[in-house]
Amino acid sequence: MITAERKPMEEILECINPYNRILLVGCNECVTVCAAGGRKEVGLLSTALQMAFMKEGRTLEVKEITLERQCDPEYVEELITYIDQVEAVLSMACGCGVQEIARRYATKPVFPAVNTKFMGASERQGVWSERCRGCGDCLLGLTGGICPIARCSKRLMNGPCGGSTKGKCEISPDVDCAWNLIWERLKALGLEKKYEEIMVAKDWRPSWHGGPRRIIREDMAE
Amino acid sequence: MIFCLLKVILTFFTGYVLSPFSVQDRLEVVKRFEVTFGTCSETLERDLMSFQKRLSSDEFVVLAEMDTPKGVDISNLVTNARRIKGRVDAVIIPDMDNGVMRMSSMGGGVLMHQQGMESIIHVYCRDRNRMALQGDILAAHVLGIQNLIVVHSEGMDKGDHRDAKTVNDLDEVELIKGIKSLQDGVDMAGFELNGSPKMTIGCTISPYADDSALEKELELARKKVQAGAQFIISPSVFDIDHFSRFMGKAKTLGVPIIPTVFLLKSVGIARYMATYEPGAHISEDLIKRIRKAPDRELECIRIAGETIKELKRFAQGVKIQTLGWEHRLPAILDQAGM
Repeated sequence: MITAERKPMEEILECINPYNRILLVGCNECVTVCAAGGRKEVGLLSTALQMAFMKEGRTLEVKEITLERQCDPEYVEELITYIDQVEAVLSMACGCGVQEIARRYATKPVFPAVNTKFMGASERQGVWSERCRGCGDCLLGLTGGICPIARCSKRLMNGPCGGSTKGKCEISPDVDCAWNLIWERLKALGLEKKYEEIMVAKDWRPSWHGGPRRIIREDMAE
Repeated sequence: MIFCLLKVILTFFTGYVLSPFSVQDRLEVVKRFEVTFGTCSETLERDLMSFQKRLSSDEFVVLAEMDTPKGVDISNLVTNARRIKGRVDAVIIPDMDNGVMRMSSMGGGVLMHQQGMESIIHVYCRDRNRMALQGDILAAHVLGIQNLIVVHSEGMDKGDHRDAKTVNDLDEVELIKGIKSLQDGVDMAGFELNGSPKMTIGCTISPYADDSALEKELELARKKVQAGAQFIISPSVFDIDHFSRFMGKAKTLGVPIIPTVFLLKSVGIARYMATYEPGAHISEDLIKRIRKAPDRELECIRIAGETIKELKRFAQGVKIQTLGWEHRLPAILDQAGM
């Protein structure tokens, strides 16, 4: 899933300071799962913002709505009913959702209320970790299902580096050394030979180094 | 320290004894001293440098662009540079900003320095992060390079290493600010430097197709000037009237504008540019002139020379760009009467 964290209150308040009527839009997908921008967080932020305005002797009208998916034009269209009643939109979706609203409602200012962080997995209750950087050319089949691009701090293709100590990364004892994980996993699978193969310099074109990416499915595209 | 003092004395001495001789001759003597006794960073060459002086005293500057080799054979670069020594104020050395892997501009700049010629090297953000850029700029200063142009770089997909990772840690405006900061003795992380580089910082205006694009380019150039750019290299000129209108708007930027004079080389190139770069303003008359000429190559050189002559009325210099035809630079300068 795409993970996100709510921005600091001061930053959000600074964005919406010039306005008195806003639309606060949550998303029912990834940001709901990582508890950053779902229906519940929309309600909490709405109350917090109104209280902050009241403290300054101002009134903030907040229309709350949580869309099924903010990155999907079909659902973003639902905002048409409310968009003219507000001065600005505050989105609690990931960057994809914010941009979809900006694209659809060209004359309405839209601000992000969360920082989009990474594509990750839930480690345990309340903890999410990065697992994928969307490099566009998945090599998990070569590395025992552990990604060195997302999980090695140096993104080494032939690791580990000299900073790996007792299975931990030099940047923090809380961070696993991805190449240690890869080695242990390959060993468990009896695939040590794979580790000995020298990986070639990665072609970064399928990643965003080739410019913004698109997927076109000829069989589906209208 | 003793070497530095000796060098100061030597520089004044050569300045006195060789005063009827050119800056390059004086640099040669200082160079010979360096070869014998080694270099020190606080040299006095920059006082002798003509580009910076001419720029600040509103004199017309002539710059020639020369590419470094893709490899280590520097014979063409050095030979072509020697041919125009004393006829140009500085040689512009591009880096890999067009996306083709080649010897770095710092190497080329140092080679020019060794030939007693001033250089202006390209720096850009696609391949190096702020650490590498700052480190290279400090090295460039110590190796005798006094001028930089912060340039736009082509996307990695346009070059010959298309699978490489793009860095783009900074953009052009941020890099100019970073270089300015180094000049003020502080790096981009806010740490004090032990000796700060002194550089003339240039920037570019990209080719523009219409007035709306020009407006955006001028606004961006204004930002670059605010960040610390001291001169601007502007796009190729093929239509003097069009350029004079551009200058009318660009004057407000408040720094010297140095337009590019591009050697067309053939009808094919002229036609290609006229078709795919409408902002270049290559007219049908210009293409016809090349086509009808008995010696088309010479005609292109004449056109470049005439353009340089005419630009003296409007601009504070020219950058001559030949893209692989550097051996024709002396002929262009002849045509321009320089």
